[in-house]
Amino acid sequence: MKTTWQKVGKVILWVVLVCVAVIQLFPLIWLVDFSLGSSNEMFTNGLLIIPETIRFDNYVKAFVDGNFLHYLRNSVLINTLAVLLVLIISIMAAFACQRMKWKLSGFVSTLLLLGMMIPIHATLLPNYKIYSTIHLTDTLWALLIPYVAFSLPQGMFLMTGFIQSVPKELEEAAVMDGCGIYRIVFQIITPLLKPSIATVAIMTFLNNWNEFMMASTYLSTPTWKTLPFSVLEFTGEYSSNYAVQFAVMALTAAPAVIVYVILNKHITKGVAMGAVKG
Amino acid sequence: MKKKLIASLLATVLTVSTLAGCGGSSGNSTQTNAGSQTETAQDTAAQDTTAQDTATEDTGNTQEAAETAGGDVTIRLFSNLPDRKNGQGLVEQMIIDEYMEANPNVTIEVEALDEEAYKTKFKAYAMSGMPDVVSIWGQPSFLDEVLDAGVLAELNEADYADYKFIAGSLEGFKKDGKLYGLPRNTDIMLFYYNQKMFDDNGWTVPATYDELLELCKTIQGAGITPVAMDGGDGWPMACFLTDILVKVAGTDYAEIIRNAVAAGDFTAPEIREATQILVDSAAAGMFQTGYDSQDYGTTMNLFTNGQAAMYCMGSWDCSMALNEDITPEIRDNIRAFTMPVVEGGKGGAKDIAAWNGGGYAVSASSEVKDEAVKFLNYMYQPDKLSKYGWENGVGMSAQDQTEYLTGNETELQKQVMDILKEATSVSGTPINDCGPSVFKTTIENEIQGVSNGYTSVDDFLEAIGNACK
Amino acid sequence: MKKLYSNKLVIFSLVLPGVLVFLFAVLAPIILSVYYGFTDYSGMGEAKWIGWENYAALFHDSAFGRSLLNSLLLAIGFICIQHPLAILVAAVLDKLQGRAEGVFRCIYFIPNVISVAVIAYLWKFIYNPDFGLLNNVLKFFGYQGKINWLSQQNAIWSVLLVLIWHGFGWGMLIYYTGIKNIDPVLYEAASIDGANWWTTFFRITLPLMKPVIQINVTMAIISALKQMETVYLLTNGGPSNSTQFAANYLYQQAFKSFRYGYGNAIGVVFILICIVTTVVLNTVFREKQDA
Repeated sequence: MKTTWQKVGKVILWVVLVCVAVIQLFPLIWLVDFSLGSSNEMFTNGLLIIPETIRFDNYVKAFVDGNFLHYLRNSVLINTLAVLLVLIISIMAAFACQRMKWKLSGFVSTLLLLGMMIPIHATLLPNYKIYSTIHLTDTLWALLIPYVAFSLPQGMFLMTGFIQSVPKELEEAAVMDGCGIYRIVFQIITPLLKPSIATVAIMTFLNNWNEFMMASTYLSTPTWKTLPFSVLEFTGEYSSNYAVQFAVMALTAAPAVIVYVILNKHITKGVAMGAVKG
Repeated sequence: MKKKLIASLLATVLTVSTLAGCGGSSGNSTQTNAGSQTETAQDTAAQDTTAQDTATEDTGNTQEAAETAGGDVTIRLFSNLPDRKNGQGLVEQMIIDEYMEANPNVTIEVEALDEEAYKTKFKAYAMSGMPDVVSIWGQPSFLDEVLDAGVLAELNEADYADYKFIAGSLEGFKKDGKLYGLPRNTDIMLFYYNQKMFDDNGWTVPATYDELLELCKTIQGAGITPVAMDGGDGWPMACFLTDILVKVAGTDYAEIIRNAVAAGDFTAPEIREATQILVDSAAAGMFQTGYDSQDYGTTMNLFTNGQAAMYCMGSWDCSMALNEDITPEIRDNIRAFTMPVVEGGKGGAKDIAAWNGGGYAVSASSEVKDEAVKFLNYMYQPDKLSKYGWENGVGMSAQDQTEYLTGNETELQKQVMDILKEATSVSGTPINDCGPSVFKTTIENEIQGVSNGYTSVDDFLEAIGNACK
Repeated sequence: MKKLYSNKLVIFSLVLPGVLVFLFAVLAPIILSVYYGFTDYSGMGEAKWIGWENYAALFHDSAFGRSLLNSLLLAIGFICIQHPLAILVAAVLDKLQGRAEGVFRCIYFIPNVISVAVIAYLWKFIYNPDFGLLNNVLKFFGYQGKINWLSQQNAIWSVLLVLIWHGFGWGMLIYYTGIKNIDPVLYEAASIDGANWWTTFFRITLPLMKPVIQINVTMAIISALKQMETVYLLTNGGPSNSTQFAANYLYQQAFKSFRYGYGNAIGVVFILICIVTTVVLNTVFREKQDA
């Protein structure tokens, strides 16, 4: 009796998991499927199509006219810079507020964490004014500054927690050896923070990789535009060709998905660590 | 930061800003002389080049005019035509390429966005400094505030005496008699329909609005969407409402709207009637399912893929007839008719909803203004925008096109040309563009709610009235 | 040691970059927003000081009210639909061993790494009444009508569905980690007592997950308030403001209606609401934890 119940339970368990997986994945399969057909084939009654001819030229169009490589390069560059800056700044600030002795440490730490509560989009209007006044619009900085600013609180928060758990004895020994603060921070503490650095890096990347609201407000020429623009610009350009629109969407989604699937274990670990502590 | 803030506070207390009034110079129901005289140069002599250098000083740009005078010039063009391979966008790109070839020292960088995104970004640019050449609309909702802020460069109207602009087409682009932009098209609201589909099913073009409703019912019965309507954007429906209102109020249209905007009161019986007709039509299923949330491209594709029998949009979409992405079976069978007459309405079949809306202007703060104006003038040489536009089937330009008739025009083009030629009156600016931009945003938002029956006609009229106050 | 650790200059140099970023990118815009919130600045020309007028207008602005209501609906949707599902699936996934566990976890998270731009456009197609996936699925199961998913009545729920779908993996992952952190000894004890899966879930898993749930709920409410990008691309607040959200609304007001001053006033109120909500939620949950 018990075993049949267990079997039924197991079946239900699998059904639930597979159902959820289908729901999460099917729209993406649909996307890729139709991106290989022609626009006219959209109007079918079936769920998926077997394209009459598989049209890879949809992807060629998307790749070339979507400015894919250029935007990808920008995205990678801007996000890498943002991650580096967030890491350096947050480690330094977290160390100063957590370990060093000064009156305002609590205040400054709270101040920097305050950013977590501020809705990023509320700063769109005034920041636009500021950036245009000092000619930062349409430059790398127009994206880098807000990306760093709004990922910093989270980085700071996580780093503070991690630094707290580093035993003080290590530092004491370092001081005995005559190390200065900078060396303690960057040569002794930082290597110990490796897992947390991974977490902060992943969180920052996920926060900013897909951002486009600020990018579309602050940028105007293609020079620094990021990957989401492939989709945003392209759909207008090819408004009468659905299949090519699908191709550009699939293409734009691809880099992040591929990287995720490859690094899946590490990213999951990083996100889990960050989220539970945060 | 603080000092700056205080300084700007003081500055603002001292200055009294002028509020943009409602209404304005919209909707002069001129008699059309489609493609005949050139612009009457009544006050062109009065305004020479005096105001050329006004409102340009306060730009605060760092790299002042470093790249003018013979050297390499980069002109930034901000366009509302993202599709560079079809229609108007193609025409624009053709001229750009041609210009760059003729002037090797000039590079033209294009930033193109969809109409809605374009207008949003344009306003952001108005705060921070415009690209050199921009798309604009010669309508109060768009231009009044922009001109008040002095962000567009004044053009010398006398320069355009030979450009064959249709009489009255420049009016929307003027303020205090000075010209700030040039019109690109003459826009007419149309019902595009699929002639073959009509013939196959024995449907005929309706002569009255009741017949239209009847026809829609028949089409629906056949399992086809009667009219594809881009309701997600709001403005096409406002143009549709304009079209109905023209049939209801006839040549009084402009007057009625002007008064309504000025008083912030839209309860005039004609407006109410027209709105009610829109509501009833939508309720009767004239438009596709989900029309109130679908965008331009989706709507048009519904028609060009044969899912809808008709498509309500402006004459600029005549280029569908030449779009290679559309199957020939449909593309060759696209025809058009104008809004049928409303029973009891004052508007006749040939009183049409048409205006000179979109066009181009040059930024007042442009570092390469002279070059930009040169390029603008190049575009408007009658054998450029106007001719190429005609050859690519994008509908009517705002210039005389008679000499470019080739005899190879698409049926659709000929039809549209005839519609305009035979018109007894044209409406001028559509309703949503007759007030300040707050009014425009409001009516384009609210019209969705009233058409789908979510808000009552009274509430709708009140809401758009309040937006004018 | 002490001396080294209280060297003002060193502290200053360590904290400076962070403080500068904060001042420039967070505080300065807020101050500017507060200032412009008191003006009738259109975005061009001169700004005129008009005192509290914008705020008075905001008080009567039904579209803004609608935005807040929508945020509330969204938060409720997250808490009542997404999170229970996420916890359940996480608990079920926890029972699975071996490779399958990792594969499912990976699949569930995939939508999360895809750009909102792609997600929003993709769902626009999915919701299309004529050829969209959703209506095709219904047709597949025999339903013949055309449902208008983005109509005035349905749009907010459709937006909610997209957001639930998109964020599901994230929520699931956090609960999953929370469950993994529960001491297995407790489960063993329960199974010795003869408790079945349900009892174990409700008696052990859920209570021990309380702190994780609280964090997740807080984040859900905050993200519901901050929602903008999906809505901006999917419906842009329409039809007729029925899917309006505060962030999108202030953007529209400033850059579409030439009401930059008013947009900033919305921004200020919006920031206040976010801060108050965060503080209140934290206090409530902390008190509960203490009790």
